[in-house]
Amino acid sequence: MARTKIGAKLSAVFAVSALLISACGSSSAEGSGGTVTYLTHAEQILHLDPQRNYTGQDLAFSVTYLTRSLVSYAPGAGAAGTELVADLATDIGTPSEDLKTWTFTLRDGITFEDGSPITCAEVAYGVSRSYADDLTDGPAFAEAFLDVEGGYAAYPGPYEATAEQQALFDAAVECSEDGKTITFHLNSPMADFNYTTALLTFSPVPLDEGGNVGEAYDKNIVSSGPYKIASYTTGKSLNLVRNENWSADSDPFRKALPDKVVVKFAQDEKGIDEYIINGTGPGKTALSLDGIYPDNLEAVFSSADMESRRLNDYDIYVTYTAVNVAKMTCLPIRQAVFYATDREALRALGGGSQFGGDFADGVIKPANLPTDYKPVTGYEDADPAGNVVKAQELMDQAKTECPDEYTRVTTKGITRDYADGDVARQGFAITQEALAKVGIKLNANFIDPGSYYGVILNPETQGDLSAAGWGPDWLNASTVIPPLFIDNGGFNVSQTKADPDYAAFAALVDEAKANPDRASQGAQWAALNQYVMEKMWVLPGLFTKTQYHWGSDLTGVYLWQPYGCPGFNDIGVKN
Amino acid sequence: MGIYIFRRTLYAIALLFVISLVVFVLFSALPFDPASLTCGKNCTTEVIEANRIRLGYDLPMWEQYVKFLQGIFIGRDYGHGVASFTCPAPALGYSFFRQECVTSLLITALPPTIWLAIGSVTLWVGTGILLGIWAARRRGGAPDHIINVLTVFATSMPTFLTGQMALTFLIGKFGWIPPPDYYEPYQNFPKFFSTMFLPWIVLALPGLAIYARLTRGFVLETGSEDFVRTARAKGLPEKTILWRHTLRPALSPLTTLAALDLAFMLGGAVVTEKIFSIPGLGRLTIQSVIQYDLPVIVGTTILAAAFIVVANLIVDILYSVIDPRVRLK
Repeated sequence: MARTKIGAKLSAVFAVSALLISACGSSSAEGSGGTVTYLTHAEQILHLDPQRNYTGQDLAFSVTYLTRSLVSYAPGAGAAGTELVADLATDIGTPSEDLKTWTFTLRDGITFEDGSPITCAEVAYGVSRSYADDLTDGPAFAEAFLDVEGGYAAYPGPYEATAEQQALFDAAVECSEDGKTITFHLNSPMADFNYTTALLTFSPVPLDEGGNVGEAYDKNIVSSGPYKIASYTTGKSLNLVRNENWSADSDPFRKALPDKVVVKFAQDEKGIDEYIINGTGPGKTALSLDGIYPDNLEAVFSSADMESRRLNDYDIYVTYTAVNVAKMTCLPIRQAVFYATDREALRALGGGSQFGGDFADGVIKPANLPTDYKPVTGYEDADPAGNVVKAQELMDQAKTECPDEYTRVTTKGITRDYADGDVARQGFAITQEALAKVGIKLNANFIDPGSYYGVILNPETQGDLSAAGWGPDWLNASTVIPPLFIDNGGFNVSQTKADPDYAAFAALVDEAKANPDRASQGAQWAALNQYVMEKMWVLPGLFTKTQYHWGSDLTGVYLWQPYGCPGFNDIGVKN
Repeated sequence: MGIYIFRRTLYAIALLFVISLVVFVLFSALPFDPASLTCGKNCTTEVIEANRIRLGYDLPMWEQYVKFLQGIFIGRDYGHGVASFTCPAPALGYSFFRQECVTSLLITALPPTIWLAIGSVTLWVGTGILLGIWAARRRGGAPDHIINVLTVFATSMPTFLTGQMALTFLIGKFGWIPPPDYYEPYQNFPKFFSTMFLPWIVLALPGLAIYARLTRGFVLETGSEDFVRTARAKGLPEKTILWRHTLRPALSPLTTLAALDLAFMLGGAVVTEKIFSIPGLGRLTIQSVIQYDLPVIVGTTILAAAFIVVANLIVDILYSVIDPRVRLK
């Protein structure tokens, strides 16, 4: 996933969180019954199919209402919402001594919406679906971590696998005869594999997929949560009603407050805000899944009436510019680009400090990865508005140390990839002007947003610099540093393998991944974040913020840190 | 007459065939890899290649087009094994993004657009003609001036502005009108009417103004013809002169225009459908453009073109009925 921000703000965040917790505690009891409405301009929830669901808010929605996994995060505001708790399993998993085998025991009394029991066979089947090529968009962690002999290429998923191929998967994911215990064999030691199982990749799916196999399952999922789908029409609405076969006795944390949950799609963005602000239409019991329309931010956050029904907090993302190390081999030039950039002007394009976020000093965001964060040192003189003097010194140094690249960047120039859009074009103009002050010529490659990642993930089509963003898949920088900077990590847009020191870096990453002690592992990630910045493999952007508002009759809204969106579990309607 | 209609129908079919070819080639030539668009950030080369084969994008372009045409007549199968599926004829492709056959998407999106088009075109043609007649009969008087000003105002107000203002103020701010919640009329007529009422007006306003001005001009022009003067000299009542002698020739060109406008509207009113959450062809088109859902864009484009071609065919046939000289040509 991908982006949030920093230390000085943490105390304020936790203070607000504490207030929200107490507010939630007092209001949740009176929030039961009624209908909660969510409004969005989107045409549909991108994926409800658990093996394809990989967007923070969609995951939070599904986890709360429809789909249980082996473990989950305890819903709550602030740090309380980041605690890993057992869900379908009886505990948060038991690793072997070598950390290459993880075992989960399933609870009693867990069923699908049709009353059929959930066993380890359904969980294993769900995991196997993530290997199928046609079930796109989901995370690839099962393929990356499970010890399927021959890897991803050897097992095509349950639809096309031969008996021999299926046996390869079954050897990696063992289901006990009594259906209660599932064991995952990993291809390398992993201290935090249980966090991976909070993703819905590790959710159960009925062996017949409810009669809607493959892609068709996306709109016809079989619920294991407290609600089930009554109707789902793309472009219109998703209606959830209570799942009578769900039992609170088998579920340690879901509150299931409203009687009905409705998602109304294809709503006009400005219209949504009007309903919520003025209490018209469905506005009184509605929350916008799209956040607040940018034009209305000032009005919402200056209104006394909205004071108790708005939030402005750090989401999970960090934005950055990936430096293609294979093309930009000269460290002083990479550093000069960073020093010369007018980050203040770029932040103003995204809502300034109040709504846009704080300047990032790396790729680990303190708001959601406090254990792994330590302020990066060595760039204290990087003025947000640009330090032209320092940048020029670095360019002078580059002229001597790497004359060929110096000539290239000052004559032919470097190219930055942008996902095309108005803000991107304005950002390019700002950066081009800033870099020109130290003689760096910047060119833009504006790429259609739909093809953007396809272009920048291909080393042949990627430019020197690429706009990017990232958020942790779970609350461990093991889902930040390795995917962004390890060769087979999945999103190594910085092409770090081209750096002469890559092997040493990769060895340090392997050490950190296998460290079972969370505190010392956090220190290792912080050191690697510092390493990345010293190498200038990325130019850090923002620890971003997000804003939400909701109707006057809703209770229990807070930001659920692991997903960077509202915690749906406590949202109810005032009695 | 029969030969004329047969000939025109053949032309229309040939034209649709050419349009489908041009649209298919144009979209195939776009600098996007449709297989890459089937998955997002964490996609792998293996998944892209598997989807390329599954959706037929690995074939040469001419073969893709042949399969596309085949799909229209006999349907098309995708994938293999237990997760395979069929898009029945007439199959216009498969939307990987929406996981639905394009034809199914079009069939779902068509009724709202038809209701929107019929309602708004009826409103703008009917009201526009009545206002135009009134202005012509009161030429130079206060009603003429007022209608003139109003039509200039209505013509200059773009739909995205009036629509957004109507939604923001009448629905969002004051809550005078229920928020859009589309139902088919036979499912829930009150909700259907309350959702469509405002879009009909918003969409009709500019057209209404144009029709009022055109009608005024045609009526005045026809009113100065010799045969009208003769009718008046014969002492016929003004109402008879207007309704029997003036309006029939004056409104003939408007009939043609209205038919083409209706056909154009059936292609989808993008802005209005988007603002008022009407799940019609226009919204389907714009969403597909945003999502680079190429099969749906091809489908909606061909369908919209088909509406225009068919409307032209009907108009041609009607003209030949009205004016025998046309079919002799």
